[in-house]
Amino acid sequence: MTPAIVTESLSKRYASRMAVENLSIQVQRGEVFGLLGPNGAGKTTTIAMLLGLVAPTSGHAALLGTPLGPQLAVALRKVGVMIETPAIYPYLNGAENLLVLARAGRIDPQRVDRVLQIVGLQERAKEAARTYSQGMRQRLAIAAALLPDPELIILDEPTNGLDPAGMVEIRDLIRHLAAEGRTILLCSHVLHEVEQLCQRVAILKEGRLIAQGNVADLLQREQGIRLRVEGDPAAAIALLHALPWVTGLTQEGTVIFVDAPSQRVAELNTYLARNDIAVAEIGLRERSLETFFLEVTGDR
Amino acid sequence: MIAELRPLIAAEWLKLRRRPMAWIVLATFLGLLLLYLATWALVVALHTGALSGGMNRIMVLTDPQIAELKRQLSFPGIFGAVLGQVNSTGGICAIILAAGFVGSEYGWGTLRLLLTRVPQRGALLLAKLLTLLLGLLGAIVVALVLGSFAAALCQLILDLPSTMHLRDLLVLPLGVARSLFVILPYVMLTITSAILGRSVLAGVGGGLMFLALDMSAGSLNTLAGVDPRVQMLINLLLQPNINTLIVLNSQLFGLDQSVLISGLDLTHLPSPLQATLVILVYSGFFYWTAYRLLLRRDVGGAL
Repeated sequence: MTPAIVTESLSKRYASRMAVENLSIQVQRGEVFGLLGPNGAGKTTTIAMLLGLVAPTSGHAALLGTPLGPQLAVALRKVGVMIETPAIYPYLNGAENLLVLARAGRIDPQRVDRVLQIVGLQERAKEAARTYSQGMRQRLAIAAALLPDPELIILDEPTNGLDPAGMVEIRDLIRHLAAEGRTILLCSHVLHEVEQLCQRVAILKEGRLIAQGNVADLLQREQGIRLRVEGDPAAAIALLHALPWVTGLTQEGTVIFVDAPSQRVAELNTYLARNDIAVAEIGLRERSLETFFLEVTGDR
Repeated sequence: MIAELRPLIAAEWLKLRRRPMAWIVLATFLGLLLLYLATWALVVALHTGALSGGMNRIMVLTDPQIAELKRQLSFPGIFGAVLGQVNSTGGICAIILAAGFVGSEYGWGTLRLLLTRVPQRGALLLAKLLTLLLGLLGAIVVALVLGSFAAALCQLILDLPSTMHLRDLLVLPLGVARSLFVILPYVMLTITSAILGRSVLAGVGGGLMFLALDMSAGSLNTLAGVDPRVQMLINLLLQPNINTLIVLNSQLFGLDQSVLISGLDLTHLPSPLQATLVILVYSGFFYWTAYRLLLRRDVGGAL
């Protein structure tokens, strides 16, 4: 089966600035894929290119096996989208906002009630959308994305503006949608959200892909070792510098972070003990996606 | 094609119908129309002394002008008067409506969401235009109904004669179509401006600017007598051609605009065929520009 999303050397240039440069990613069907990056990294431009809203400067892309171009309309019938800030007609009520999209996209109008129910907006569906809170607008935007009963859902910051309970609800909804076999491309700044929801991620910075892979693999890669010694850590650090497979050392009080392969933990412990360094604690350094993200994007 | 457009027009119609701005613009236009008719009715009443039982007469216009006003306030001239207003203040209202209808999609960010459901941008543009024209047609019908009530009232109060024939009702659709056709280039330019500037303001600005420029250029008409070649060039502007159709519409219902508008020289106006073709060319060019802009420009991303 063809991947849900494929981009090959996809690029977009605005005047002298490259918004996206040679982006090559693949999102497999049925997976939840995270697209991460700081503001201006090119995430929204990438999504806009995939949806035919922005013309690529070069490269290729395909959505559900359909290449960008005139045939894209067929693929888009199976794609639900929520891009950045929820786009609503403020004078229409929630149901009418969805009805406009349903009519325009030739979607069964009965889906409107169904998706309003899914996002929990049915009780406020007859109220003008301009009176909605940010969280309700967010739900309405997600409802709009679900309208075509999509195979592929593209969500850009879906929990933005939601209260903690709302965030949990939306994450549960995303899990539920993924469990139904739908493919989800999730753009989010909430990194632990991506860590919880996504199997694979791609990290963009200044339009370039700087890391891609399984979340678990990325977090394990160059994971490092954390140890706490009794007494002065300076002696331990001097000893650790001598080891050829130690590529870096960071000290925080009596805690030393050692950049070294994780399988060397036992060897490291023995080495220090033989050299009369009492190790009070030793283990793998736990890294969150946030830490990894900040490291690879160079923001730390 | 029609099957493809029908759901799109239904979606656009829902947006237009439920939009408060559309109703405010319509109410404003109808208010101005009533004000216009009430003013002329007052002038006629003062002239004939109808308000004082013939005791006091204040004559601000000549007898032929009053006779023309009486024709405008009674059947079938009221149809010509209403359609004349459609092509003056109605044009401005149409510009505001069109700018809001297209420009807001950029402001609210709804255009890119809509384009994910309707990737055929040409179809979306056509649906928007047809919906707007449908809305304007509805507004013209409402204005004609309101004008008819006003005329009935005027005939009662001012004792105006009515010479309504079946023919007047039969030619009414032609008059309405002509009025709508006259508005078309302004609506098209407004849509183009809104797409170019990606905002309501750009649409209103572009439409009104063009209207003002075109009306100013209309004053060049006074030079038409200098040389036939000058006249030919001036007649390629939009305003003289629009004037031709407006005059034709007036004449359709027994009115004579030159009685009220001094300086309106009907002899220099282009032929109806040329007027139709020139307006068609202008409208077509503006539509083509709007289409190319919408088709080629990015919507969304780092704009």
